[in-house]
Amino acid sequence: MAIDKKKIVADLSKIEVKGDKNGLIEGFNVLVNQLPAKFWNSFADRLTSKATPDILEAIEGLLINAAHECGYHTGYGIMTSDEWNAVVKPMIEKAPEDVLAGAFAVLGAFGWANTEIIELVPGKAITVRAYDYYESNVVSYGNSPKKSAYMLRGICAAFMDLAYGGAYDPTGKTGVHTFTCKQTKGIECGDDYGEFVVTKAK
Amino acid sequence: MSEFRKTQLLLDHSYDAVKKQHYLNGSLTVLHCHHYTTLYTQLALDANETRLLAATAEETFYGELAAYLKQQNITALTTKIELACDYYAAVGLGTMEVVSLGDDSGVVRLNSSHVDAGWLKKWGQHTAAVNYIGGGFIAAMFAVITGKPAGSFNAIETSSIVMGSPYSQFSVVRH
Repeated sequence: MAIDKKKIVADLSKIEVKGDKNGLIEGFNVLVNQLPAKFWNSFADRLTSKATPDILEAIEGLLINAAHECGYHTGYGIMTSDEWNAVVKPMIEKAPEDVLAGAFAVLGAFGWANTEIIELVPGKAITVRAYDYYESNVVSYGNSPKKSAYMLRGICAAFMDLAYGGAYDPTGKTGVHTFTCKQTKGIECGDDYGEFVVTKAK
Repeated sequence: MSEFRKTQLLLDHSYDAVKKQHYLNGSLTVLHCHHYTTLYTQLALDANETRLLAATAEETFYGELAAYLKQQNITALTTKIELACDYYAAVGLGTMEVVSLGDDSGVVRLNSSHVDAGWLKKWGQHTAAVNYIGGGFIAAMFAVITGKPAGSFNAIETSSIVMGSPYSQFSVVRH
């Protein structure tokens, strides 16, 4: 059975998420929250928009890193979860390529982005397009000169880490950051979709 | 015989299968983890932008709480407080107890906190308070409940779970 993206999205988007008696949401080996997208967008956009050119790259790097670590640890939690085992695992014929396809389908189910893998060079690179992603909402009119999908850049690289970066390391000392991602197109910049090119980190 | 019922927080969850986006009470919502929350907080600390982080949280939650209470036509003070605390818990930020609330000041206690629990899980104890997101929420809650504009209150964390306290406490003061 090949990866059935529609089924994954249909099944996993229905997961009910709500705080427990302590107001905490434990799942996928992490503590989860469900905050308005506006909060994450607003902080990232204001921080990068006020940054002077000499520190902008560093600020953007830290925003990407937040998502990279999030994607690595939460991604692993997702890929080892009961939900994954029930829905996605039976579809996997060829690992890790099918695992990657399943992971990007989960991105849509969890509301991060509507993505499509355009090209995969196993172990080396992946190109992903996102047709809807909440980070593009930073622009309401016109086109931004700043590509703003820091979260997706981190997530895309993290998924390649999980697929080809060796055994998962819960300490984050190894395994993560073996890949890096560049955003080459953005809806927020006037393109029809966001495009993300992940390659091996130097 | 009379029956007293606590007003329940209503969370209307919907999913846009085309855009692949989740909505809670009409607001675009995303799932994130404690790694993301704590790294954003660390970034705010590194960039000396903790006020921006708190202000962003305050503005965001002011909009959410004000819209909800208006939509549900909630007017009773106690109910407003209970629903704000329930919302805080429902989105996974922890449990909140309003010790006191007035037009100019108040005290709020967090018996559990996503930011603090996440920080402890990721890095262990810290030497300073880190819950700027929670502080922003509390400032927003006070402004909404007392009918004042966003930015009217400052919430200062006076004790903190991440520093070893059994609970976090915020002193809230009107500007």
